Amino acid sequence: MEDMIHMDRAMSAQQDIKISAKGVQVYYGDNHAIKDVDVEIEDKTVTAFIGPSGCGKSTFLRCINRMNDTIDVARVTGDIRIDGEDIYDPKVDPVQLRAKVGMVFQKPNPFPKSIYDNVAYGPKIHGLARNKADLDEIVEKSLRKAALWNEAKDRLDSPGTGLSGGQQQRLCIARAIATAPEVLLMDEPCSALDPIATAQVEELIDELRQSYSVVIVTHSMQQAARVSQRTAFFHLGNLVEYDTTDKIFTNPQDPRTESYISGRIG
Amino acid sequence: MTNSLLQSDARTKKRNAAEARFRAYGFSAICVAMFALVILLTSVLLNGVSSFQQTFVTLPIELVEERVDKQGNRDRAEMAKTTTIGYAPLLRDAFVAEIESLGIETELGARDLADMISKEAAATVRNRVLADPTLVGQTIEFDLLASGRIDAYFKGDVTMESAALDGNTSPEALMVAQALADAGIMETKFNWGFFTRPDASVQRPEAAGLGVAILGSIYMMLVVLFLALPIGVASSIYLEEFAPKNRITDIIEVNISNLAAVPSIVYGILGLAIFINFMEFNQSSPLVGGLVLTLMTLPTIIISTRAALKSVPPSIRDAALGVGASKMQSVFHHVLPLAAPGILTGTIIGLAQALGETAPLLLIGMVAFVREYPAAYTPEAGLFGEASTALPVQVFNWTQRSDPAFVERASGAIITLLVFLLIMNAVAIYLRRRFERRW
Amino acid sequence: MQSLTTPLLFVIALAVIGYFVAKSRAMQVAGGDIRLLVSLPRQHALSTTLATLVPACGAVLLFALYSRIAGTTPGWFLSLVILGLGVTGFALSLIGIKIESRARTYSERWIMALLIFSSTIAIMTTVGIVFSMLFETFNFFGQYDWRDFFFSTTWSPNFRGNSDLGIIPLLWGTLYVSFIALLFAVPIGLFAAIYLSEYASPRMRSVAKPAIEILAGIPTIVYGLFALITVGPLLRDYFAEPMGFGQSASSVMTAGLVMGIMLIPFVSSLSDDIINAVPQAMRDGSLGLGATPSETIRQVVIPAALPGIVGAILLAASRAIGETMIVVLGAGAAARLSLNPFEAMTTVTVKIVSQLTGDTDFASPETLVAFALGLTLFVITLGLNVFALYIVRKYREQYE
Repeated sequence: MEDMIHMDRAMSAQQDIKISAKGVQVYYGDNHAIKDVDVEIEDKTVTAFIGPSGCGKSTFLRCINRMNDTIDVARVTGDIRIDGEDIYDPKVDPVQLRAKVGMVFQKPNPFPKSIYDNVAYGPKIHGLARNKADLDEIVEKSLRKAALWNEAKDRLDSPGTGLSGGQQQRLCIARAIATAPEVLLMDEPCSALDPIATAQVEELIDELRQSYSVVIVTHSMQQAARVSQRTAFFHLGNLVEYDTTDKIFTNPQDPRTESYISGRIG
Repeated sequence: MTNSLLQSDARTKKRNAAEARFRAYGFSAICVAMFALVILLTSVLLNGVSSFQQTFVTLPIELVEERVDKQGNRDRAEMAKTTTIGYAPLLRDAFVAEIESLGIETELGARDLADMISKEAAATVRNRVLADPTLVGQTIEFDLLASGRIDAYFKGDVTMESAALDGNTSPEALMVAQALADAGIMETKFNWGFFTRPDASVQRPEAAGLGVAILGSIYMMLVVLFLALPIGVASSIYLEEFAPKNRITDIIEVNISNLAAVPSIVYGILGLAIFINFMEFNQSSPLVGGLVLTLMTLPTIIISTRAALKSVPPSIRDAALGVGASKMQSVFHHVLPLAAPGILTGTIIGLAQALGETAPLLLIGMVAFVREYPAAYTPEAGLFGEASTALPVQVFNWTQRSDPAFVERASGAIITLLVFLLIMNAVAIYLRRRFERRW
Repeated sequence: MQSLTTPLLFVIALAVIGYFVAKSRAMQVAGGDIRLLVSLPRQHALSTTLATLVPACGAVLLFALYSRIAGTTPGWFLSLVILGLGVTGFALSLIGIKIESRARTYSERWIMALLIFSSTIAIMTTVGIVFSMLFETFNFFGQYDWRDFFFSTTWSPNFRGNSDLGIIPLLWGTLYVSFIALLFAVPIGLFAAIYLSEYASPRMRSVAKPAIEILAGIPTIVYGLFALITVGPLLRDYFAEPMGFGQSASSVMTAGLVMGIMLIPFVSSLSDDIINAVPQAMRDGSLGLGATPSETIRQVVIPAALPGIVGAILLAASRAIGETMIVVLGAGAAARLSLNPFEAMTTVTVKIVSQLTGDTDFASPETLVAFALGLTLFVITLGLNVFALYIVRKYREQYE
């Protein structure tokens, strides 16, 4: 166990920076939801955002693929770069951005279509498959990566809404993977799931680290400790502390982090 | 996959173009709808606004005793024997004399000149004389309606060219009219008679008014208000607050939502078969019209009342029950007053719907030509039992007549109807804003 | 009827008197101290009034109906029964006023009876509709072969007898006009709803939504007049005549177009409700994958809302089929089986109006046919409504 953590740390030291945010502010109407956040997120790493509810962790997550654009009153300032490119540059098309930065939501939200069509939706709209065989391959690969293939391969034509909660969430992950993203954002992906389904999804997240930069928002500190290599603690719209996960949980620098970890606030 | 985000690829460009197109479709759909609304309203306004103006002739008329009161005793019953035909020469002579005294030269004979005044004018003079027999023998100044064609000339609907082809008027008559207008004898002014006069026959569009129709519509609205509101509220209270959830309640509910979608003409057939043929209520009466409209409006009122009752939070009911009120008391003392604004709004909207409804009224005989103002109650006909017509039916009636002057009247009647509806809806919106409550 | 009015007025007067008598009697029983009473004097009063009024009024209604069916005028005996009921209720209530009597429960029972009666009126209306048409339709089919009615392709009523009363040309006109109306209203209404709920800024929504709702509040006679004086001549002068389609101002196209305008707000407000019922999570899921808003709408929102939208379209269709004034003023009166939309055709509702207005003779098939037409219309629209409401309800439940 100790060895593994050391290895992780050694790895993360040599990771590239995938996402870098500087001086990010978010306003919801008059409400200043995110205050001056600076953060650098590494590639091929699971980064967890933790904090009490309403602290802005989900809001910040939604900045990274510009999902806040869909809310009329939300206003984002500051600088967020992916691979060095400013994603709020007027030349950037949020559609292209979101193909590159996939997202999985709190509640499983499969489309009212078949399992196959759910997964094929992204590749179809982005034109990732040249033909049907190609598409079949993408669907199978994504479902395999999401550890759903064995359960779903015989019922690809049945509606995605007919799956169980955990399966639905893995379907949503498969759907996100199918567009070949580079970053995967997960907004409390296990909050609507039972413990067994949660374990399955967590296992999956750990595997996804091989290929993607994963950012996960969670309200469960245990989950953050289990799946992430780096952890950011948000409080009242501020990024309080950001470090490797074991440092945050064993030796926090900020008293607020310490009180949250030990259960005194939140 | 290391494409820069800063450049959009060809596919994204295509997709964004599709997005813009889709958006444009949506926007143009809104524009088409708005455009239709504007065209509809302006068409009706442009056609109808002139009906609020009417051309009048101001004429001093000598009420010669030998013609008006042959017995010379000023007895109204005796004088009433002189019909409007007896008055016509008075008008003709006065008009011809007026034209001569003004020095207007024309080739038209006295008869053609007299045709420039509405046939209704003689009745106006006669009514005035019968109302006040002391006027006999004097020379009184009257404001008389000009004939429909002359009126249309001043509104620009009849021209010299069209008059030349028209059997009812002639370019010479129009020239005389113009001269009279220049002399200030003929004048186009606001037409109060449009709102007060009864309908007029096909030859006298200038005299046709909405008086009977407005009165009939008001009677029907009273019937609807006094029947539909209590029945609607009572049945909503039962269904929403007391009814057990069982098959029968289910059937009633499905039934109500279906009744709301039954074509209005079917209600007309119901009214004809049940109220007129079976119950033998008077045909064309506001009572039958009101009953039919009540049945039509009930679903609307029930649906909105139930929504209003539903929006009162259960905590209010619990609070009342908690201090020992019965279920009935909690509903009547607490829930109903809180739901009242919503109920009222729904009722007004239902009434507005009923006010504009035409088709069922056609079937129960409200298209009849009615010139007498209906009384609210008579011993023979009962409550609201006298023949009447209604605003929207009057519109339909006028569209069926050949004289184009009636089209103008129909549009004018529509404007009047729309103004009533506007007022009702404004009141409903005001009530909703004023008393809207968020829990 | 008349002979029942007198006893009714008497009972009403008795009920009013009962209110005050019962109140003072309750006070008297309590010896002036209302704290002793189980029910308030007011409740005793109300209970007395209702006990006097409700049974007697019920009897009036019943007797009035009976005398219509029997074809007699109600005699003195019935008046006596009504008076008896009123007086009995009045007396029993007054005698029953004791300290421990529960007047509130009694009055609430009467009120409950009234509430239940009111809610049966909706049922009675439906029964009335069905029976009023069924009865005369049977009469009609007694005089006219039903096969000719349903399958004959000519409609030419003739008041000297020997009429051809085939419904097919009327149905054809009805469906043709409705089809054109929907062709116009469904895309516009649907796109308007989509634009308003997914794209429009709050300011635009606050202008466009009420404007579209105004269209819904305009009476159909206004649309009819619009068809008659504006759209009809316009279509004739600029489309039909130059293109050689005919010289008629009233045509299927005129009525269909104007009816389409009438249906726009109907389609758009129903679709708006339905589109808004699609959960936001569904949209987020699609947008989060990098779909454009229009892709999200076309491939996720619309398929999810499809059952509801189909229901809305069916409801609109039922409205179009039952609409009367627009077709009376816009479509014409000639029964014709033709494909040319610029030709005047007629519909079921137009013929119901024309056969039942003016001098009607309720023994001739030419008049009675209107009831058969009405029943056909009722059955078609009812079928559409039931089906559509079922679909919409099922759809709503799915997202609740």
